Amino acid sequence: MIRLRGIAALFLLLALPAAAGAQQPYVTSGARAGKMEVSAAAAWTGGYDDGVAAAQLTRNPTTGSSPLTLFNANGRMQSGAGFEGRLGYYLSSRVSVEGTFQYTRPTLRASLSNDFENAAPTDADVNVSTYIFGGSVLYHFGSGPFVPFVLGGAGYLRQLEEAASDATSGAEIHGGGGIKYWFGAAQRVGLRVDAQISSRSKSVGFEDKRRVVPSLAGGIAFLF
Amino acid sequence: MRRYLALILAALVIIVWAPAADAYLKLGTRVGNNIVNAKFNTFPIRYFVTNRDVPGVTAQQAQQAYDRAFATWHAVPNTGMSSQFVGFTGANPGAADGINVLGFQNRPDLDRVLGSTSITTNSTTGEILDADIFFNSTFAWSVAQGGEAGRQDLESIALHEIGHLHGLGHSMIGETELVGGGRRVLGAEAVMFPIAFSAGTVNRTLRADDIAGISDIYGDSTFRTSTGSITGRVTKNGTGVLGAHIVAFNPASGKLVGGFTLSDDGTFTIAGLEPGPQVVRVEPLDDGDISSFLDPALNIDVNFKVVFYNKLVVVPRGGTAPSIEVKVVAK
Repeated sequence: MIRLRGIAALFLLLALPAAAGAQQPYVTSGARAGKMEVSAAAAWTGGYDDGVAAAQLTRNPTTGSSPLTLFNANGRMQSGAGFEGRLGYYLSSRVSVEGTFQYTRPTLRASLSNDFENAAPTDADVNVSTYIFGGSVLYHFGSGPFVPFVLGGAGYLRQLEEAASDATSGAEIHGGGGIKYWFGAAQRVGLRVDAQISSRSKSVGFEDKRRVVPSLAGGIAFLF
Repeated sequence: MRRYLALILAALVIIVWAPAADAYLKLGTRVGNNIVNAKFNTFPIRYFVTNRDVPGVTAQQAQQAYDRAFATWHAVPNTGMSSQFVGFTGANPGAADGINVLGFQNRPDLDRVLGSTSITTNSTTGEILDADIFFNSTFAWSVAQGGEAGRQDLESIALHEIGHLHGLGHSMIGETELVGGGRRVLGAEAVMFPIAFSAGTVNRTLRADDIAGISDIYGDSTFRTSTGSITGRVTKNGTGVLGAHIVAFNPASGKLVGGFTLSDDGTFTIAGLEPGPQVVRVEPLDDGDISSFLDPALNIDVNFKVVFYNKLVVVPRGGTAPSIEVKVVAK
Protein backbone atom coordinates (compact mmCIF):
# COMPACT_ATOMS: atom_id res chain seq x y z
CA MET A 1 0.00 0.00 0.00
CA ILE A 2 2.77 2.38 0.91
CA ARG A 3 4.53 1.55 -2.30
CA LEU A 4 1.43 2.32 -4.27
CA ARG A 5 1.17 5.77 -2.67
CA GLY A 6 4.79 6.47 -3.56
CA ILE A 7 4.16 5.61 -7.15
CA ALA A 8 1.09 7.80 -7.19
CA ALA A 9 3.04 10.76 -5.79
CA LEU A 10 5.74 10.34 -8.40
CA PHE A 11 3.13 10.25 -11.09
CA LEU A 12 1.64 13.50 -9.86
CA LEU A 13 5.05 15.22 -9.79
CA LEU A 14 5.75 14.13 -13.31
CA ALA A 15 2.32 15.22 -14.37
CA LEU A 16 2.59 18.76 -12.99
CA PRO A 17 5.05 20.11 -15.54
CA ALA A 18 2.91 18.68 -18.28
CA ALA A 19 -0.10 20.44 -16.81
CA ALA A 20 1.85 23.69 -16.62
CA GLY A 21 2.96 23.21 -20.17
CA ALA A 22 -0.62 22.82 -21.18
CA GLN A 23 -1.27 26.33 -19.83
CA GLN A 24 1.45 27.87 -21.93
CA PRO A 25 -0.83 29.23 -24.65
CA TYR A 26 -2.05 31.99 -22.34
CA VAL A 27 1.40 33.04 -21.11
CA THR A 28 1.40 36.77 -21.61
CA SER A 29 4.80 37.89 -20.36
CA GLY A 30 6.24 37.89 -23.83
CA ALA A 31 9.07 35.67 -22.69
CA ARG A 32 9.59 32.68 -24.91
CA ALA A 33 12.39 30.70 -26.47
CA GLY A 34 14.83 32.85 -28.35
CA LYS A 35 13.97 36.07 -26.53
CA MET A 36 16.65 38.05 -24.76
CA GLU A 37 16.34 40.08 -21.59
CA VAL A 38 18.57 42.85 -20.41
CA SER A 39 18.24 44.43 -16.99
CA ALA A 40 19.94 47.03 -14.83
CA ALA A 41 19.41 47.39 -11.12
CA ALA A 42 20.55 49.02 -7.95
CA ALA A 43 22.12 46.44 -5.65
CA TRP A 44 22.72 46.01 -1.96
CA THR A 45 24.85 43.37 -0.23
CA GLY A 46 24.56 42.50 3.44
CA GLY A 47 27.32 42.65 6.01
CA TYR A 48 28.82 40.00 8.22
CA ASP A 49 31.04 39.74 11.26
CA ASP A 50 34.65 39.20 10.38
CA GLY A 51 36.02 37.86 13.62
CA VAL A 52 37.61 39.18 16.77
CA ALA A 53 41.37 39.47 16.88
CA ALA A 54 43.57 40.42 19.80
CA ALA A 55 47.04 41.88 19.40
CA GLN A 56 48.83 39.85 22.03
CA LEU A 57 52.29 39.72 23.55
CA THR A 58 53.92 36.68 25.07
CA ARG A 59 53.74 37.10 28.82
CA ASN A 60 56.89 37.18 30.93
CA PRO A 61 56.34 33.98 32.96
CA THR A 62 57.03 35.72 36.24
CA THR A 63 54.26 38.28 35.67
CA GLY A 64 51.45 35.95 34.63
CA SER A 65 50.51 33.08 32.39
CA SER A 66 47.95 34.46 29.96
CA PRO A 67 49.08 36.55 26.98
CA LEU A 68 49.21 40.30 27.44
CA THR A 69 46.62 41.97 25.21
CA LEU A 70 47.91 45.12 23.56
CA PHE A 71 44.50 45.89 22.01
CA ASN A 72 41.49 44.21 20.44
CA ALA A 73 40.21 44.43 16.87
CA ASN A 74 36.61 43.46 16.10
CA GLY A 75 36.14 43.01 12.39
CA ARG A 76 32.97 43.50 10.37
CA MET A 77 32.27 43.81 6.69
CA GLN A 78 29.58 46.43 6.46
CA SER A 79 26.73 46.28 4.00
CA GLY A 80 27.37 47.94 0.67
CA ALA A 81 25.48 49.49 -2.20
CA GLY A 82 26.16 49.32 -5.91
CA PHE A 83 24.58 48.20 -9.13
CA GLU A 84 24.27 45.18 -11.36
CA GLY A 85 23.54 44.36 -14.94
CA ARG A 86 22.20 41.15 -16.52
CA LEU A 87 21.87 39.82 -20.01
CA GLY A 88 19.63 36.76 -20.39
CA TYR A 89 18.52 34.37 -23.11
CA TYR A 90 15.31 32.37 -22.92
CA LEU A 91 15.69 28.71 -23.74
CA SER A 92 11.95 28.34 -23.30
CA SER A 93 9.18 30.43 -21.85
CA ARG A 94 10.15 29.21 -18.39
CA VAL A 95 13.91 28.67 -18.51
CA SER A 96 16.53 31.25 -19.24
CA VAL A 97 20.24 31.64 -18.76
CA GLU A 98 21.94 34.91 -18.05
CA GLY A 99 25.28 36.52 -17.47
CA THR A 100 25.64 38.88 -14.55
CA PHE A 101 27.91 41.70 -13.53
CA GLN A 102 27.59 43.16 -10.04
CA TYR A 103 29.55 45.96 -8.40
CA THR A 104 29.21 46.93 -4.75
CA ARG A 105 31.43 48.86 -2.37
CA PRO A 106 31.11 47.67 1.22
CA THR A 107 33.38 48.85 4.03
CA LEU A 108 35.65 46.55 6.02
CA ARG A 109 35.83 47.92 9.54
CA ALA A 110 38.03 47.08 12.52
CA SER A 111 36.74 48.45 15.80
CA LEU A 112 39.85 48.96 17.92
CA SER A 113 39.52 49.00 21.67
CA ASN A 114 40.98 48.00 25.05
CA ASP A 115 44.37 49.47 24.31
CA PHE A 116 46.98 48.65 26.96
CA GLU A 117 48.23 52.24 26.88
CA ASN A 118 44.77 53.80 26.68
CA ALA A 119 44.68 54.81 23.04
CA ALA A 120 41.20 56.12 22.26
CA PRO A 121 38.89 53.49 20.74
CA THR A 122 38.82 53.96 16.98
CA ASP A 123 37.17 52.48 13.93
CA ALA A 124 39.65 51.76 11.14
CA ASP A 125 37.98 51.35 7.77
CA VAL A 126 38.76 50.49 4.22
CA ASN A 127 36.32 50.48 1.32
CA VAL A 128 36.35 47.32 -0.74
CA SER A 129 35.28 47.46 -4.38
CA THR A 130 33.65 44.12 -5.08
CA TYR A 131 33.06 42.78 -8.58
CA ILE A 132 31.18 39.60 -9.48
CA PHE A 133 31.11 38.20 -12.98
CA GLY A 134 28.70 35.29 -13.02
CA GLY A 135 26.16 33.18 -14.74
CA SER A 136 22.74 31.90 -13.64
CA VAL A 137 19.98 29.60 -14.72
CA LEU A 138 16.47 30.91 -14.07
CA TYR A 139 13.19 29.06 -13.87
CA HIS A 140 10.05 31.19 -14.17
CA PHE A 141 6.71 30.32 -12.66
CA GLY A 142 3.27 31.26 -13.77
CA SER A 143 2.42 33.78 -16.40
CA GLY A 144 0.89 37.17 -16.82
CA PRO A 145 2.45 40.40 -15.76
CA PHE A 146 3.74 39.00 -12.48
CA VAL A 147 6.35 36.29 -13.04
CA PRO A 148 8.07 34.83 -10.00
CA PHE A 149 11.32 33.03 -10.62
CA VAL A 150 14.10 31.14 -8.91
CA LEU A 151 17.71 31.11 -9.97
CA GLY A 152 21.03 29.53 -9.19
CA GLY A 153 24.51 29.99 -10.55
CA ALA A 154 28.15 30.67 -9.96
CA GLY A 155 30.60 33.45 -10.52
CA TYR A 156 34.06 34.91 -10.21
CA LEU A 157 34.65 37.33 -7.36
CA ARG A 158 37.28 40.05 -7.37
CA GLN A 159 37.81 42.55 -4.59
CA LEU A 160 40.03 45.62 -4.51
CA GLU A 161 40.56 47.80 -1.48
CA GLU A 162 40.09 51.51 -2.02
CA ALA A 163 43.68 52.34 -2.85
CA ALA A 164 43.66 49.44 -5.31
CA SER A 165 46.92 48.18 -3.85
CA ASP A 166 45.74 44.62 -3.37
CA ALA A 167 43.27 42.30 -5.01
CA THR A 168 41.53 39.22 -3.74
CA SER A 169 39.96 36.75 -6.12
CA GLY A 170 37.69 33.84 -5.48
CA ALA A 171 34.68 31.91 -6.60
CA GLU A 172 31.08 32.32 -5.54
CA ILE A 173 27.89 30.33 -5.91
CA HIS A 174 24.50 31.88 -5.51
CA GLY A 175 20.87 31.04 -5.31
CA GLY A 176 17.67 32.94 -4.79
CA GLY A 177 14.59 34.20 -6.42
CA GLY A 178 12.59 37.21 -7.34
CA ILE A 179 9.76 38.56 -9.37
CA LYS A 180 9.36 40.33 -12.67
CA TYR A 181 6.48 42.60 -13.50
CA TRP A 182 5.92 43.29 -17.18
CA PHE A 183 4.10 46.41 -18.29
CA GLY A 184 1.58 47.00 -21.04
CA ALA A 185 0.37 44.89 -23.90
CA ALA A 186 3.75 44.39 -25.51
CA GLN A 187 5.20 43.00 -22.31
CA ARG A 188 8.64 44.23 -23.25
CA VAL A 189 9.40 46.53 -20.34
CA GLY A 190 9.24 45.48 -16.74
CA LEU A 191 10.47 45.76 -13.22
CA ARG A 192 12.65 43.10 -11.67
CA VAL A 193 13.46 42.43 -8.02
CA ASP A 194 16.03 39.83 -6.91
CA ALA A 195 16.89 38.39 -3.51
CA GLN A 196 19.89 36.10 -3.36
CA ILE A 197 22.34 34.38 -1.09
CA SER A 198 25.93 34.31 -2.31
CA SER A 199 28.53 31.95 -0.84
CA ARG A 200 32.03 33.28 -1.48
CA SER A 201 35.21 31.25 -1.23
CA LYS A 202 37.41 34.21 -0.34
CA SER A 203 37.11 37.85 0.48
CA VAL A 204 39.17 40.72 1.81
CA GLY A 205 38.98 40.42 5.56
CA PHE A 206 40.44 39.16 8.79
CA GLU A 207 39.36 35.55 8.49
CA ASP A 208 40.19 33.40 5.51
CA LYS A 209 36.97 31.46 5.22
CA ARG A 210 33.86 31.07 3.09
CA ARG A 211 31.36 33.89 3.53
CA VAL A 212 27.61 33.85 3.00
CA VAL A 213 26.39 37.24 1.81
CA PRO A 214 22.75 38.19 1.21
CA SER A 215 21.98 40.59 -1.58
CA LEU A 216 19.00 42.49 -2.94
CA ALA A 217 18.59 44.17 -6.29
CA GLY A 218 15.79 46.09 -7.93
CA GLY A 219 15.63 47.67 -11.36
CA ILE A 220 14.25 47.67 -14.83
CA ALA A 221 14.22 44.94 -17.48
CA PHE A 222 13.70 44.86 -21.24
CA LEU A 223 12.71 41.96 -23.50
CA PHE A 224 13.73 41.92 -27.11
CA MET B 1 91.37 51.83 1.66
CA ARG B 2 88.78 50.51 3.98
CA ARG B 3 87.65 52.33 7.03
CA TYR B 4 86.37 50.39 9.96
CA LEU B 5 83.70 51.30 12.39
CA ALA B 6 83.35 49.48 15.65
CA LEU B 7 79.86 49.27 17.05
CA ILE B 8 79.22 48.34 20.63
CA LEU B 9 75.63 47.26 20.80
CA ALA B 10 73.15 47.79 23.52
CA ALA B 11 73.15 44.73 25.64
CA LEU B 12 70.35 42.50 26.72
CA VAL B 13 69.54 43.37 30.28
CA ILE B 14 67.30 41.99 32.92
CA ILE B 15 66.06 45.21 34.46
CA VAL B 16 66.87 48.51 32.87
CA TRP B 17 65.25 51.72 31.86
CA ALA B 18 63.71 51.01 28.53
CA PRO B 19 60.62 52.05 26.61
CA ALA B 20 57.45 50.14 26.01
CA ALA B 21 57.09 50.33 22.30
CA ASP B 22 57.04 48.45 19.05
CA ALA B 23 59.54 48.15 16.23
CA TYR B 24 62.37 46.26 14.70
CA LEU B 25 65.50 48.14 13.85
CA LYS B 26 68.38 47.41 11.57
CA LEU B 27 71.90 48.33 12.56
CA GLY B 28 73.66 50.61 10.18
CA THR B 29 75.95 53.48 9.62
CA ARG B 30 75.54 56.72 7.75
CA VAL B 31 77.51 57.12 4.55
CA GLY B 32 76.89 60.57 3.14
CA ASN B 33 73.14 60.99 3.08
CA ASN B 34 72.43 57.27 3.13
CA ILE B 35 72.22 54.67 5.85
CA VAL B 36 74.13 51.50 5.02
CA ASN B 37 72.85 48.41 6.77
CA ALA B 38 75.30 46.26 8.71
CA LYS B 39 75.20 42.72 7.34
CA PHE B 40 77.28 39.72 6.45
CA ASN B 41 77.94 39.43 2.76
CA THR B 42 79.21 35.86 2.76
CA PHE B 43 78.03 32.67 4.40
CA PRO B 44 78.53 30.53 6.37
CA ILE B 45 79.33 32.74 9.31
CA ARG B 46 82.36 31.06 10.89
CA TYR B 47 82.52 31.37 14.65
CA PHE B 48 84.70 30.28 17.58
CA VAL B 49 83.63 29.62 21.17
CA THR B 50 85.68 30.67 24.17
CA ASN B 51 86.85 27.56 25.96
CA ARG B 52 85.53 28.51 29.38
CA ASP B 53 83.04 26.70 31.61
CA VAL B 54 80.74 28.42 34.04
CA PRO B 55 78.73 26.83 36.87
CA GLY B 56 76.07 24.65 35.32
CA VAL B 57 77.26 25.09 31.72
CA THR B 58 80.36 23.69 30.07
CA ALA B 59 81.93 25.33 27.05
CA GLN B 60 80.73 22.42 24.95
CA GLN B 61 77.15 22.77 26.21
CA ALA B 62 77.35 26.49 25.53
CA GLN B 63 78.54 25.82 21.98
CA GLN B 64 75.58 23.51 21.42
CA ALA B 65 73.20 26.20 22.68
CA TYR B 66 74.81 28.77 20.36
CA ASP B 67 74.53 26.33 17.49
CA ARG B 68 70.82 25.84 18.12
CA ALA B 69 70.33 29.60 18.28
CA PHE B 70 72.17 30.10 14.97
CA ALA B 71 70.05 27.34 13.46
CA THR B 72 66.85 29.05 14.60
CA TRP B 73 67.79 32.24 12.79
CA HIS B 74 68.97 30.38 9.75
CA ALA B 75 65.71 28.45 9.52
CA VAL B 76 63.97 31.69 8.51
CA PRO B 77 62.94 30.94 4.94
CA ASN B 78 64.20 32.80 1.89
CA THR B 79 67.22 34.32 3.59
CA GLY B 80 70.07 31.99 2.63
CA MET B 81 71.92 32.35 5.94
CA SER B 82 74.17 29.69 7.44
CA SER B 83 76.89 29.32 10.07
CA GLN B 84 79.76 27.05 10.94
CA PHE B 85 81.36 26.32 14.31
CA VAL B 86 85.13 26.39 13.75
CA GLY B 87 86.44 25.39 17.16
CA PHE B 88 87.15 26.38 20.75
CA THR B 89 89.56 29.19 21.45
CA GLY B 90 91.32 30.78 24.37
CA ALA B 91 90.46 34.22 22.98
CA ASN B 92 87.87 36.34 24.69
CA PRO B 93 85.02 37.94 22.79
CA GLY B 94 85.32 41.66 22.20
CA ALA B 95 88.54 42.04 20.27
CA ALA B 96 88.39 43.39 16.73
CA ASP B 97 90.65 40.59 15.52
CA GLY B 98 88.73 39.51 12.45
CA ILE B 99 87.30 36.36 14.00
CA ASN B 100 83.86 35.89 15.46
CA VAL B 101 83.98 34.73 19.08
CA LEU B 102 81.16 33.81 21.45
CA GLY B 103 81.79 33.04 25.09
CA PHE B 104 81.47 33.76 28.77
CA GLN B 105 83.21 36.59 30.54
CA ASN B 106 82.90 37.62 34.14
CA ARG B 107 81.75 41.24 34.20
CA PRO B 108 80.37 42.00 37.68
CA ASP B 109 80.62 45.71 36.84
CA LEU B 110 77.81 45.19 34.31
CA ASP B 111 75.39 44.00 36.92
CA ARG B 112 72.31 44.37 34.70
CA VAL B 113 73.80 43.11 31.46
CA LEU B 114 73.29 39.48 30.54
CA GLY B 115 75.11 39.66 27.26
CA SER B 116 76.39 42.05 24.65
CA THR B 117 77.40 41.96 21.02
CA SER B 118 80.08 44.03 19.36
CA ILE B 119 80.52 44.18 15.63
CA THR B 120 83.05 45.78 13.35
CA THR B 121 81.84 46.87 9.95
CA ASN B 122 83.24 48.32 6.82
CA SER B 123 81.83 51.81 7.17
CA THR B 124 81.50 52.22 3.43
CA THR B 125 79.72 49.02 2.55
CA GLY B 126 78.28 48.02 5.90
CA GLU B 127 79.77 44.54 5.63
CA ILE B 128 80.25 42.95 9.04
CA LEU B 129 83.90 42.02 9.38
CA ASP B 130 84.01 40.82 12.96
CA ALA B 131 81.27 40.09 15.47
CA ASP B 132 81.73 38.93 19.06
CA ILE B 133 79.26 38.07 21.79
CA PHE B 134 79.95 37.87 25.48
CA PHE B 135 77.65 36.34 28.07
CA ASN B 136 78.07 37.66 31.57
CA SER B 137 79.04 34.82 33.90
CA THR B 138 78.12 37.00 36.86
CA PHE B 139 74.66 35.56 36.31
CA ALA B 140 73.54 31.96 36.71
CA TRP B 141 72.98 30.18 33.39
CA SER B 142 71.15 27.10 32.24
CA VAL B 143 71.03 24.92 29.15
CA ALA B 144 68.37 22.59 30.54
CA GLN B 145 65.84 21.60 27.93
CA GLY B 146 62.94 23.09 29.85
CA GLY B 147 64.88 25.87 31.53
CA GLU B 148 65.64 26.22 35.23
CA ALA B 149 64.13 28.52 37.81
CA GLY B 150 66.51 31.25 38.89
CA ARG B 151 68.81 30.77 35.91
CA GLN B 152 68.89 32.51 32.57
CA ASP B 153 68.31 30.31 29.57
CA LEU B 154 71.50 30.53 27.50
CA GLU B 155 69.86 29.56 24.22
CA SER B 156 67.22 32.31 24.57
CA ILE B 157 69.80 35.00 25.32
CA ALA B 158 72.07 33.69 22.56
CA LEU B 159 69.17 33.92 20.13
CA HIS B 160 68.80 37.62 20.98
CA GLU B 161 72.53 38.37 20.72
CA ILE B 162 72.93 36.42 17.49
CA GLY B 163 70.18 38.62 16.10
CA HIS B 164 72.48 41.57 16.79
CA LEU B 165 75.38 39.67 15.29
CA HIS B 166 73.41 39.47 12.04
CA GLY B 167 72.73 43.22 12.04
CA LEU B 168 69.44 43.55 13.87
CA GLY B 169 68.93 46.25 16.48
CA HIS B 170 66.45 46.11 19.29
CA SER B 171 62.78 45.58 18.73
CA MET B 172 60.22 47.45 20.74
CA ILE B 173 57.25 45.15 20.69
CA GLY B 174 56.82 44.84 24.40
CA GLU B 175 55.35 46.35 27.52
CA THR B 176 57.12 47.00 30.79
CA GLU B 177 56.43 48.19 34.32
CA LEU B 178 58.47 50.13 36.82
CA VAL B 179 60.09 47.94 39.46
CA GLY B 180 62.51 49.20 42.05
CA GLY B 181 63.85 52.06 39.99
CA GLY B 182 64.17 49.91 36.92
CA ARG B 183 61.81 48.42 34.39
CA ARG B 184 60.53 44.88 34.15
CA VAL B 185 59.08 43.40 31.01
CA LEU B 186 55.45 42.33 31.30
CA GLY B 187 55.24 40.86 27.86
CA ALA B 188 57.01 41.02 24.55
CA GLU B 189 56.46 39.71 21.07
CA ALA B 190 60.00 39.85 19.77
CA VAL B 191 63.16 38.02 20.74
CA MET B 192 64.94 41.29 19.99
CA PHE B 193 63.14 43.16 22.76
CA PRO B 194 65.94 44.63 24.90
CA ILE B 195 64.78 43.38 28.29
CA ALA B 196 64.94 39.66 28.96
CA PHE B 197 62.20 37.59 30.50
CA SER B 198 63.06 36.58 34.02
CA ALA B 199 63.41 32.92 33.13
CA GLY B 200 61.97 30.22 30.92
CA THR B 201 62.49 29.10 27.37
CA VAL B 202 59.67 30.87 25.52
CA ASN B 203 62.19 33.13 23.82
CA ARG B 204 63.87 30.28 21.99
CA THR B 205 61.31 30.95 19.26
CA LEU B 206 61.43 33.84 16.82
CA ARG B 207 58.38 36.05 16.46
CA ALA B 208 56.93 37.78 13.42
CA ASP B 209 58.82 40.99 14.14
CA ASP B 210 62.15 39.15 14.37
CA ILE B 211 61.48 37.26 11.16
CA ALA B 212 60.42 40.41 9.31
CA GLY B 213 63.53 42.20 10.53
CA ILE B 214 66.05 39.54 9.56
CA SER B 215 64.26 38.99 6.26
CA ASP B 216 64.39 42.69 5.54
CA ILE B 217 68.19 42.42 5.77
CA TYR B 218 68.85 39.06 4.13
CA GLY B 219 65.61 38.24 2.30
CA ASP B 220 65.81 37.09 -1.28
CA SER B 221 63.50 37.83 -4.20
CA THR B 222 60.99 35.26 -2.99
CA PHE B 223 60.68 37.15 0.29
CA ARG B 224 60.34 40.47 -1.54
CA THR B 225 57.63 39.20 -3.86
CA SER B 226 55.64 37.36 -1.19
CA THR B 227 55.48 40.14 1.39
CA GLY B 228 54.71 43.83 1.28
CA SER B 229 55.42 47.12 2.99
CA ILE B 230 53.72 50.05 4.64
CA THR B 231 55.25 53.47 4.33
CA GLY B 232 54.19 56.86 5.57
CA ARG B 233 54.75 59.74 7.96
CA VAL B 234 53.94 60.49 11.56
CA THR B 235 53.19 64.16 12.09
CA LYS B 236 52.23 66.47 14.92
CA ASN B 237 50.83 69.88 14.04
CA GLY B 238 52.02 69.28 10.50
CA THR B 239 55.61 68.59 11.50
CA GLY B 240 57.36 65.24 11.28
CA VAL B 241 57.85 63.25 14.48
CA LEU B 242 61.23 61.59 14.98
CA GLY B 243 61.44 58.41 17.00
CA ALA B 244 57.78 57.40 16.89
CA HIS B 245 57.07 53.68 16.98
CA ILE B 246 54.65 52.26 14.49
CA VAL B 247 53.28 48.76 14.73
CA ALA B 248 51.37 46.93 12.04
CA PHE B 249 48.96 44.29 13.28
CA ASN B 250 47.51 41.70 10.96
CA PRO B 251 44.14 40.64 12.45
CA ALA B 252 44.06 37.59 10.20
CA SER B 253 47.25 36.10 11.59
CA GLY B 254 47.72 37.98 14.86
CA LYS B 255 51.22 38.98 13.83
CA LEU B 256 52.80 42.22 15.03
CA VAL B 257 55.62 43.88 13.12
CA GLY B 258 57.06 47.24 14.02
CA GLY B 259 58.75 50.18 12.41
CA PHE B 260 60.22 53.47 13.39
CA THR B 261 60.33 57.05 12.18
CA LEU B 262 64.01 57.56 11.64
CA SER B 263 64.21 61.05 10.21
CA ASP B 264 63.05 64.53 11.10
CA ASP B 265 60.29 64.47 8.53
CA GLY B 266 58.68 61.56 10.37
CA THR B 267 58.85 59.04 7.55
CA PHE B 268 58.85 55.33 8.18
CA THR B 269 58.77 52.03 6.33
CA ILE B 270 57.77 48.64 7.68
CA ALA B 271 58.77 45.79 5.40
CA GLY B 272 58.19 42.06 5.51
CA LEU B 273 54.45 42.25 6.12
CA GLU B 274 51.95 39.62 5.12
CA PRO B 275 49.59 40.80 2.39
CA GLY B 276 46.17 41.91 3.57
CA PRO B 277 44.56 44.47 5.86
CA GLN B 278 46.67 45.78 8.72
CA VAL B 279 45.88 47.88 11.77
CA VAL B 280 48.43 50.64 12.36
CA ARG B 281 49.17 51.93 15.84
CA VAL B 282 51.61 54.70 16.77
CA GLU B 283 53.14 55.35 20.17
CA PRO B 284 55.93 57.45 21.63
CA LEU B 285 59.16 56.27 23.15
CA ASP B 286 58.23 58.03 26.32
CA ASP B 287 59.22 56.10 29.40
CA GLY B 288 62.61 54.57 28.98
CA ASP B 289 66.18 54.74 27.91
CA ILE B 290 66.12 55.97 24.35
CA SER B 291 69.70 54.80 23.92
CA SER B 292 68.47 51.21 23.94
CA PHE B 293 67.01 51.93 20.55
CA LEU B 294 68.20 55.17 19.00
CA ASP B 295 70.94 57.71 19.30
CA PRO B 296 69.92 59.74 22.37
CA ALA B 297 71.46 62.82 20.78
CA LEU B 298 68.61 62.83 18.29
CA ASN B 299 65.63 65.07 18.86
CA ILE B 300 63.24 62.28 19.80
CA ASP B 301 59.67 63.50 20.33
CA VAL B 302 57.92 61.59 23.10
CA ASN B 303 55.20 64.10 23.82
CA PHE B 304 52.23 62.63 22.03
CA LYS B 305 49.39 60.22 22.74
CA VAL B 306 49.16 56.66 21.54
CA VAL B 307 46.86 56.58 18.53
CA PHE B 308 45.40 54.20 15.97
CA TYR B 309 45.37 55.17 12.31
CA ASN B 310 41.73 55.48 11.28
CA LYS B 311 42.13 53.46 8.10
CA LEU B 312 42.95 49.84 7.57
CA VAL B 313 46.04 49.62 5.39
CA VAL B 314 45.88 46.82 2.85
CA VAL B 315 49.38 45.55 2.14
CA PRO B 316 49.89 44.31 -1.42
CA ARG B 317 51.86 41.18 -2.18
CA GLY B 318 55.29 42.21 -3.42
CA GLY B 319 54.62 45.92 -3.18
CA THR B 320 54.08 48.91 -0.95
CA ALA B 321 50.73 50.27 0.17
CA PRO B 322 50.06 53.91 -0.70
CA SER B 323 51.77 56.23 1.76
CA ILE B 324 49.79 57.17 4.85
CA GLU B 325 50.00 60.05 7.30
CA VAL B 326 49.29 59.38 10.95
CA LYS B 327 48.55 62.53 12.87
CA VAL B 328 49.32 62.54 16.58
CA VAL B 329 48.50 65.12 19.24
CA ALA B 330 50.44 66.27 22.25
CA LYS B 331 49.67 64.69 25.62
